[in-house]
Amino acid sequence: MADPLIRLTGLHKRFIMGHETVHALAGVDADIARNTFSAVIGPSGSGKSTLLYLIGGLDRPTAGRIEVEGAALDDLDENQLAQYRRRMVGFVFQSFNLIASMTALENVMFPMRFRRASLKHRRERAQELLTLVGLADRAHHRPTELSGGQQQRVAIARALVNDPHLILADEPTGNLDSASGALVMQLLADLHRQGRTVLMVTHDPRLTRFASDTIRILDGRLVSAEEYEARANLALVETHLP
Amino acid sequence: MHFTDLFSLILDNLGRRKARVALTAIGVLIGTASVVVLVSLGIGLQRGATQLFGIADLTRIDVSPKYNFEGVPVVSSGLGGGGGGAVPTPVPITDQTIAAIEALPDVAAVIPRDWLQAQTILKAGRLEAGVGLIGVGAADLATMGVEVEQGTSVLEKGTLIIGAQIALNGFYDPKPRPGQGPPTPPELLDKQIVLTVIKYTQDGQEVRKNIPMRVAGITTQTGQEADWSVFISLDEATQINSWALGRRINRNKDGYPMLVVKAAEPDGVLDLRDRIVDLGYEASTYQQFLEPLNEYYLTQQVIFGGVGAISLLVAAIGIANTMTMAILERTREIGLMKAVGATNRDVLSVFLGEAAGIGFIGGLGGVAFGWAASQVVGVLSLVNLASQGGQGGFFGGPTVLAVETPVWLMAGSLIFATLVGLLSGLYPALRAATLVPVLALKYE
Repeated sequence: MADPLIRLTGLHKRFIMGHETVHALAGVDADIARNTFSAVIGPSGSGKSTLLYLIGGLDRPTAGRIEVEGAALDDLDENQLAQYRRRMVGFVFQSFNLIASMTALENVMFPMRFRRASLKHRRERAQELLTLVGLADRAHHRPTELSGGQQQRVAIARALVNDPHLILADEPTGNLDSASGALVMQLLADLHRQGRTVLMVTHDPRLTRFASDTIRILDGRLVSAEEYEARANLALVETHLP
Repeated sequence: MHFTDLFSLILDNLGRRKARVALTAIGVLIGTASVVVLVSLGIGLQRGATQLFGIADLTRIDVSPKYNFEGVPVVSSGLGGGGGGAVPTPVPITDQTIAAIEALPDVAAVIPRDWLQAQTILKAGRLEAGVGLIGVGAADLATMGVEVEQGTSVLEKGTLIIGAQIALNGFYDPKPRPGQGPPTPPELLDKQIVLTVIKYTQDGQEVRKNIPMRVAGITTQTGQEADWSVFISLDEATQINSWALGRRINRNKDGYPMLVVKAAEPDGVLDLRDRIVDLGYEASTYQQFLEPLNEYYLTQQVIFGGVGAISLLVAAIGIANTMTMAILERTREIGLMKAVGATNRDVLSVFLGEAAGIGFIGGLGGVAFGWAASQVVGVLSLVNLASQGGQGGFFGGPTVLAVETPVWLMAGSLIFATLVGLLSGLYPALRAATLVPVLALKYE
């Protein structure tokens, strides 16, 4: 692949949990092309969310290298990593992570508090994005006054407010009913069509139909479609054994 | 993060936890109010004490001949005395002494004084006052720091200047009728009154001399020595003393009993005093008394402030607790802040700002409450003084307010309370700033 947006080389991530060492990622090599919609699928505990957070600069790998647009994230200090998250990345979380005391508009404006922008510009930008996600009439509602799907759409608007190129979504439909989930997936697919690179983590193989690429991960390693099917089926059989 | 964004975020965050912020701030309020009230009381007591002791003229040094501890006059080395059972005499204050002191740096004026060495009575019509007269070797009493309320402070032959308290309360009726109250103070200014000087001959015969005098001025009430003094010119005092003692007074031999030295500035008065002592004289200044007094009251204020600071310390623990709890509750929010691009410094600033904000709010309330409480204490003490029939100071000087809350104390307390908040928030804020974003986001 020529000039990928993201290049992962020998990526390892270990966690110490009590007296045990957990290998969340055990040597991941991958290239993710620009303007793609990649779905990372794998069962719970396979390391897919860890991979997403490492690419998003929210954590650092134990070993290996992450390059985004040719720049290695390991070389960035904490401040530079914060700037990378601010300019380059928009996060969408499974549990939305909206601030309960703020209205939808204020939640969307929140990331702009950490960079210079006039209040007028912030309001206009946030209102524009709420319109984009179909929530213009809910701008002054608090999260508790919104449905799960609406909250996730506010979160997507918030992820877009700094106009990032890379959208990282961690189980964006995990807490939603199927209708709301489909709406959110449609939004992410639209973002991809508009030229953004979307990387979505999910354990639901049905969602891969929205994506242009699928990355399969098992026990911290990327695997082929065939191996994934075989091992996933095996795991399914094992879980149903008495 | 821009300052206005930081400020508005801090305000928003404090605003959404009003009850908890208010409860925590009350701790700071009590602490700050205690500091303000107790230190105000300390300052008030110090001011009160200095006023009561009449310590106001900090440029004045009183100089007198030097006697040793037992009251036995010190032998003057220059006179070669001390041998053959000669009666030792102190070094007299002569005109040469005055010239020597005048030559010292920072000296504004040297005023010789003498007391009348005979019994004296002032008579104004039917009323009399038994007073001690002071002869002053200065044309104008203002040189000595004595100001007049009425008339002039300039002394001439045949005139006298009466102390405010003598004019008000000093005159009595020598032949009162039964049941008669204290007389109305006589009109004195520019009136002729009679100074009666009484001496006794060797065989015990009383001899009186009546000298007509005009009252040229009445001093301003200050609570100091001048309130109860009557001043005449030194020449007049010397003449009267000569008559009373029955001999001519030779200042080069008899000397002056006292000099009042006025320094140009209050600073350096203690140094000037030391130089006068080095000349071989006794010299005392109010600053000598003021120094230990100030030290005493400063210690008192530090202790008072310390007591208040203990309540602030308790409040600080409250703030630290509130902020630690806030960080536990808002861990995911901190994770979100970092995910959307907040730097560690941004997070640190937000939480430090919130802690300082609680300190500031509590401090503001504490200063207002402390000031109000100080005023109440002040009014109560005035009421108490009034109910005891006091006219203020011991000598009827200006009424002393028991508390004083200067602006520096209020500003300092507010800054201190804010700093206490800031420091209390340091550990929780550092914890928040150094949280790993991914762990913060996953925190349950």
